[in-house]
Amino acid sequence: MNNLFILVRAELAEALKEYKFIWLTLFFSTLGVTQPLINKYMDVILNHIGDTAGIVIDPNRQVPNATDVFLSTISGQFNQIGLIILIISFMGLIATDRNSGMQDFILTRPVSLYSYLYSKLIGHWLISMFSISVGVLVSYLYTVYLFGTFSFLKLLGFLVLYSLWILYLISLVILISTFVKNQILIAILTITFAFFWIFTKNFSHALSQIVPAKILTLAEHQLLDLHELNYVSVFICLMLTVLNISWAGAKFNKF
Amino acid sequence: MIIIDNLHKTLENRKILKGINLSIAENECVGLIGPNGAGKTTLIKCMTGILSYENGSIRMDSQPIEQHKKDIGYLSQYTDFKAWMTCRESLLFFGQLSGLEKKLVQKRIPTLLEEVGLFGKDHFKVEQLSGGMKQRLGVAQAILHNPRLLILDEPMSSLDPIGRNEMKKLMERLKLHTTILISTHILDDTGEICDRYIIMKNGQVIGNINSQLQHVDRRKVLLQVKDMKNIDRLKMHSDFESVQFLSPHTILLSGDKEFVLKNVIKACTAQSIEVITIGFHQKDLEQVFIEMVSEI
Repeated sequence: MNNLFILVRAELAEALKEYKFIWLTLFFSTLGVTQPLINKYMDVILNHIGDTAGIVIDPNRQVPNATDVFLSTISGQFNQIGLIILIISFMGLIATDRNSGMQDFILTRPVSLYSYLYSKLIGHWLISMFSISVGVLVSYLYTVYLFGTFSFLKLLGFLVLYSLWILYLISLVILISTFVKNQILIAILTITFAFFWIFTKNFSHALSQIVPAKILTLAEHQLLDLHELNYVSVFICLMLTVLNISWAGAKFNKF
Repeated sequence: MIIIDNLHKTLENRKILKGINLSIAENECVGLIGPNGAGKTTLIKCMTGILSYENGSIRMDSQPIEQHKKDIGYLSQYTDFKAWMTCRESLLFFGQLSGLEKKLVQKRIPTLLEEVGLFGKDHFKVEQLSGGMKQRLGVAQAILHNPRLLILDEPMSSLDPIGRNEMKKLMERLKLHTTILISTHILDDTGEICDRYIIMKNGQVIGNINSQLQHVDRRKVLLQVKDMKNIDRLKMHSDFESVQFLSPHTILLSGDKEFVLKNVIKACTAQSIEVITIGFHQKDLEQVFIEMVSEI
């Protein structure tokens, strides 16, 4: 446990020294304000860039409420561009250590392989959740300012469940890193799997019950007034995360 | 102290280690040598617990070596650290991972850095260090916790001649109270340090060279003669393939069969050559190694 703590602390220190905390937070904050701004000033934007002859703005269209805007920030910005950048920032989390020989130095100490793998998982989860939380908070404040309020508690509920999806994604990067050495390929494969899961949850109802991305639906439901808390999805997401790390550990020894 | 019994390891469907058997005694300094691809690094990675293995066992003091991680210090072939860490932070990190108290590590750092030739560099960032300096820092992290067994994979590969010399001196000091296994293919570097060499080829141990013993080449005779008069006549002798002049009074006779010294003296006397001293040529370690590797 002590070694896990030392390793997590080193991951966090590295993120601080390499300014990952700053640029990732700035990035998610920017994403967080983009969607509310676009929604609010869509008319103005279209008027400025569109050819008036070709664009007809429905004057009776429904004005989105705060929750809708916030949801589109999450599903449109965070789950697409945000997810890609997040995965790219993680792609070297195992490969860099392996290539530099740092991994050998760590694993020859009285450190268990799983302490090492879980330190990567926890460390990068904390880094991402810090940045995402700040981005979400900025987005929340902007949305509330521009579109009206919605419950902060709902937002917290959303964040807790969303963090499980991020946890799963990091475990996926770790698992793929034990099979593939090339960082770019690690990123491409993880992004492909992540989008596949997101696609699958929308595509098949039966399948969606067992895919890790189902937790995203559950997180979004916290914002809407659907007080559904599907413990099975929470359990499946956590179980798949643990499974990924266990598989990574088993594969690791065979390198 | 260390007993490896019938160790097998396969990597990517290729058998890298094919039944390794070896033992290392307490406080022995052993060199592990072999051509590239012999399996030296894989063996070391199995010994340090970085790699698992399919069959066989590695035991330290009769227990599985995995239970002795605290007793092992390791320097890998490619030494690098977290670039953003200072030398001090790196050593603190590894010291704490080894289970040492932070205060104890902090106290040890100046002495340790002095020992490896990095005194005063504690606040240097790793990214500011040269390859040789990183190698020294690698040695510092390996001996930080006073290990009983020190495993060094090519410890001198990126050091300049001065660095190599300092490293040799450090090894000499360490071998007084530590068991050392050094993997190398530069025998000059470890010739004076190692008590014994284990030779590997194609994933197997093919022999040992005791560096304390003299290895004679019976197909070469070194002669010290009074003068070089009539020496050329030896070339006519069917037993001598070549006659090399090494100094004004020394020659080296080579043949394709093993010589009998008595017969060489007879041949010289027959040509009126006065022999002062005679003896078989001593092979250096590299020669012994090359012969062993090429024979099998």
